[in-house]
Formats: sequence, C-alpha cells, structure tokens
Amino acid sequence: MNSIEKKLLELNKIEDIQQRSHWMNSLHPLGKLLISVIYILCVTSFDKYDIVHLILMSVYIIFTFAIGELSFKEGIYRMRLILPLLIFVGIFNPFLDKNIVLIAGYEVRGGIVSMLTLVVKGVYTVLAVYALIATTPIDDICYALRIIKIPKIIVIVIMLIYRYIDVMSKEADRIFTSYRLRAPGQKGIAYKYWGALVGQWLLRSMDRAQIVYESMTLRGFRGDFIPSKKSVRALDVIYPIVWIAIFMIIRFAVTG
Amino acid sequence: MKTGVSGELLNISGLSFSYEKDKEVLKDIDLKAVDGESIALVGANGIGKSTLMKLMVGLYLDFSGDITVAGHKMCAANLDHIREHIGYVFQDSDSQLFLSTVEDDVAFGPRNYGLSEEEVEQRVAKALGQVGIENLRKSKTYKLSGGEKKLASIATILSMEPDIVIMDEPSVALDPRNRRNLIMVLKDIRGLKIIASHDLDFVMNTCERTILLDDATIVADGATKDILGNEALLQAHGL
Ligand SMILES: Nc1ncnc2c1ncn2[C@@H]1O[C@H](COP(=O)(O)OP(=O)(O)OP(=O)(O)O)[C@@H](O)[C@H]1O
Ligand SMILES: [Mg+2]
Repeated sequence: MNSIEKKLLELNKIEDIQQRSHWMNSLHPLGKLLISVIYILCVTSFDKYDIVHLILMSVYIIFTFAIGELSFKEGIYRMRLILPLLIFVGIFNPFLDKNIVLIAGYEVRGGIVSMLTLVVKGVYTVLAVYALIATTPIDDICYALRIIKIPKIIVIVIMLIYRYIDVMSKEADRIFTSYRLRAPGQKGIAYKYWGALVGQWLLRSMDRAQIVYESMTLRGFRGDFIPSKKSVRALDVIYPIVWIAIFMIIRFAVTG
Repeated sequence: MKTGVSGELLNISGLSFSYEKDKEVLKDIDLKAVDGESIALVGANGIGKSTLMKLMVGLYLDFSGDITVAGHKMCAANLDHIREHIGYVFQDSDSQLFLSTVEDDVAFGPRNYGLSEEEVEQRVAKALGQVGIENLRKSKTYKLSGGEKKLASIATILSMEPDIVIMDEPSVALDPRNRRNLIMVLKDIRGLKIIASHDLDFVMNTCERTILLDDATIVADGATKDILGNEALLQAHGL
C-alpha cells in the first residue's frame, strides 16, 4: 500500500469511528464542543510548574478513550507531527530556567518541570481534539460552531477545507494508482514524472473541487449548511455540565 | 422542488457556447420543451451533450443566445430560482456524492430547501425506495460500487422532486435488473425529463422525443421511433 492510500484510509477510518453507534457519538455536538474548548483552555492555563495538578486533568482523556472505546494508539499516532515541535520549543527550558521548585517534596530544576508541563499540555490538547473529532462528524461540529455564533463564513470555510482535503487525497490516489499499475516493478515514482504528476494532481483537484461545489449549489446550497436538527436529551445537558464542573474543581479548587 | 409550474419549462434560442476561443462546442441551438415531455439527447462522444445539459442548469453563464427555464431567464441573478426547478445527475457519480453516507447525501437537497425533518425523512425513504437501495442507506458513499453510486446519485435528485430532471448517462454501470428498474422509475416521474445517453435501447424505452446532435448543432429533432429507426441518419452522425 502506498502512503497516499494509507492517508486516505486514515481519513476513512476516522469517518467510520464517527459513524459508529456509541452513546458518546450520539451526544449533542454542542456539549462535546464546549467540553473540548473549556478543557483545552483549562489545561493551557495551568501554571508552568504545576505539573502535579495538571496530571489530574488526564482523567478526562482516560475516561473518553476508555469508555468511548477510542484507540490510544490512533490518538498518539496523530501526535507524531506535533510532539517534536513541542519538544523543540521546550528543550531550551532546562538551560534557561535555573529556578529550583518543589514537586511533591522534591527539589527539581524549574526548567525541567516547565518543559514537561509544556509537553503534557500539548499531548492533552491533541488527544482532546482527537476525541472530539473521532466521536463527532465534521458536519455536526460545524453545526455546533454555528450555534455558538461563530460567523457563517468561517464555519463554511472549515467545512469546505475538510471536503477539499478529501477531494485532493482521492484524486492523488487515483493518479498514483493508475501510474503504479502501468509502471510495474518501479519503486515509487520516477523522478522525471514528478512534475507532471503533481501538476496534474493540483489541476484535477481544483477541477473536481469546482464540480463538487457545483453539485452542492445545484442541490440548493446557498452558503449555509443545514444539518439534521439534533434533539436535546437530559444526558446531552448533564454530561457537559459534569465534566466542566470537574475541570473547574481541578483547576481552581484543588489547585487553590 | 415541485412548484406547480407547467407549460413551457425550457426555451433555448440561438444558443452558442465555446470553452476555448474560436472552437464552438455548440452553435445556434434552438430547443423548446414543455412539462411532461421526455427527451433524449443523443450524439457521438465529445459532441456536446454534457455541455448542453450544464448550460441548462446554469453551470456556465458565458454563452450567447437565450436560455429560459420555468419562466426565468438564465443569468447569475436568477440562478437560485432556476435551480429550484432542476435536478441534475452528473455523468460522473463521484462528482455528485460528497457527503459521507448515502442517507446524508440524499437528504442534502431537501434540507437545503428548508423542509421539516419528517418531510426530509419521507423524501429520503421514498427516493431510496424508488431506486431500490434502501439497504445502502447507512453505507459510506466511497465504498459503493460504480452502479450503486449511480443509483445513489439518482436518488439525491429524486428526493428533491424537481420539475425538470436532467440526467447525463443514467444507465451507465447499471446491471440489467437495475437498468430495467430505472426505466420504470423514469416512467413514474412526472415533469420534464431530459436524458443524454448512448444506450439507444434505454432511450427507446424512456423517451418519446429524441434530439440528435452533431457538428455543434441539432441535426434532427422528432419522435424517438422515427429517429432511432432511421439507420442511415444515425450512421451519418456517428452512432
Ligand atoms: N471543461 C472543459 N474545457 C474545455 N473543453 C471542454 C471541457 N469540457 C468539455 N470540453 C470539450 O467540449 C466538447 C464537448 O464535450 P461534452 O462533454 O459536452 O461531450 P459529450 O457529448 O457529453 O460526450 P460524451 O458522450 O463522451 O459524454 C468536447 O470536445 C470536449 O473536449
Ligand atoms: Mg457527456
């Protein structure tokens, strides 16, 4: 399998998870969006030395992945791009920050703690976003964004970008599959064809994106997405309230 | 969307169009169609059938001549009104389906026209039933076979219940049973139907009137049995 096919499969796999019938998937998207946003705000606002209490915040991640039957492996896999970046940003902390702080009774160099805190914050954020995406289709997330009055134009751009990524990866898949089938025994793509293939890819993706957009306008798309209305049940209200309360307690009460 | 418009639904006069300068794909097309008609567009590959259909739904506006759909003159300002009357099935189903499940895709049109959730649900169930793919309701569109995609594409249009149905090669990729079923479905649809096809037997079964295109223009327009019965005419125009 080539790497484009793998990427495509990844995208499809996430759509499969989004469509499964799990109670976490059927929760109202607004609640899940609010939990995620507040969680991320809470996590990122922790003091740079407060790693002990930050660890408590993992309760949400562990709960969602365990009860939501999400794969940690998948979530971590998605961090492969962001993790090196975090480490790169944090790596100089131990050298620059020579303060000594007390962690659970031990004296530790502040720079090391703040580096760890940064990495943990990054990991939480990525996993929280993954948990949201894995249990909520993009249309529902956009619907929730509209409820909290995010401007229509921004929401539509998000939606169209998502579609466009899909279109581009499918188009790439078609081109490279057809190439490989007619160039047996070749590893990868011959250097001299790269220019032509990439050019084709961009042109064809643009073309197809245009057609998809036309197909949307032909079926009454007027720049506003109208997803199926979600009814609100008790759990849809209770679930976010409970979580947000827990976040607040950890953030403000326990931390003191 | 059914709006109860009747009488003349389509009036094209003096239509010319080219994608690139000095290379006219369509030249001086005149065509009138009324409610209840079923019209086939036939002609060799690359002759301009798809292009003509795209012009009818307003995908290209830089044409010369006049197109009037359901009383609205084709221009940017009228596109919304015009498209309320038309359902268009693309030649390529991958262009048609863009949501992740069949159900969502079929519901997309009705939802955009502001129908209530119950009505949307009814429309979806009915459209899927018409083309016989209730079992694919929850399926991922990217996992469908070629023929299944075609049927799903057709359902996305049927659910809008348009006054004018325009289909580009609807019978392509269908097995004999689904093809027969589609013929029945088309017979059931009221309103104006315009179908481009190379499947002459399918045309014979679904369309009373046939328009033959060649050299960028209409070379014959009449009863299907007369035109398709005229071997010499068909051969002269590449069919
Ligand atoms: N986007 C485009 N840009 C430039 N030329 C185009 C474009 N689309 C089609 N053409 C040209 O216009 C002509 C008519 O194409 P069209 O797709 O309308 O043919 P068709 O009758 O539908 O053919 P087929 O039976 O193969 O579907 C062809 O010569 C084609 O090369
Ligand atoms: Mg065509």
